[in-house]
Amino acid sequence: MTVTRSFPVFAVVFAAAYALAYLICVEKNYALLTYHPAIYEFGLGVEKAKDGPAMYWFGWMATSGIAASVIALAASWLPVSLARRLWSGWSWAVPVAVMVVFCYLLRSYFLR
Amino acid sequence: MFTVLLIIHGLLAVALLGAITHQAVSVWWPERKPAGFVGRYRSVPATSYANAIVVLYLVTAVLGAIVYTEYRVVVRVVLEQLDMWKTNGVFELKEHFAAVGLGVLPAYWYYWRAPLSGEHARTRAMLTALLAFVVWWNFLVGHVLNNVRGFGS
Repeated sequence: MTVTRSFPVFAVVFAAAYALAYLICVEKNYALLTYHPAIYEFGLGVEKAKDGPAMYWFGWMATSGIAASVIALAASWLPVSLARRLWSGWSWAVPVAVMVVFCYLLRSYFLR
Repeated sequence: MFTVLLIIHGLLAVALLGAITHQAVSVWWPERKPAGFVGRYRSVPATSYANAIVVLYLVTAVLGAIVYTEYRVVVRVVLEQLDMWKTNGVFELKEHFAAVGLGVLPAYWYYWRAPLSGEHARTRAMLTALLAFVVWWNFLVGHVLNNVRGFGS
């Protein structure tokens, strides 16, 4: 399969932007949709729980996916000279940092 | 229905675990002259696993997302009632790690495309290690949580 010359820039920026966007979405509860598993119902945006718990995980991923796609597409329009300077390591360094932040944010589960 | 999906999710996770572990070991602990079981384990052609890992990760994640809806209603509520906060905490990490892992798949796929670029060997190795950690964490947590609630209870 052939890929465009800008794909590596898209992939690196997407990995970093998606991880950061996901962290923000979880913290601020920017969910594009809500799922109510007890009544098998989807709702647009953030909805309160009804007849059981509300799930925002799908919504957080959807919001992050859209945000990261827009950012990564914009970055893939960068001039080649700038794109070459992009460190490929951002694709793992930012996600690893975000995972560490999640461990910190969820520490209350383990300190009770 | 959910039990069948959970079993398929588990079987796919086993396949994914095997593939990513093979690849990670061959990248981080390579063996040029394979001899014996461990030597052959370390010397597998890592590139050949990449596409399978991407597909397995996606399919396993989709099935996990479906099963998660049942977990949220049937299992998590019980864990909260039993004050099993650590157990809930490790599952919270599982869902977030799985989501972060999804985001690195395009980069992982790109850097594992043949012919491999020597310039990006470290990035490739780190992406593999990250996915291997996520897959191992999620596999073990899923297994433990399944044991906590019990099959068919």
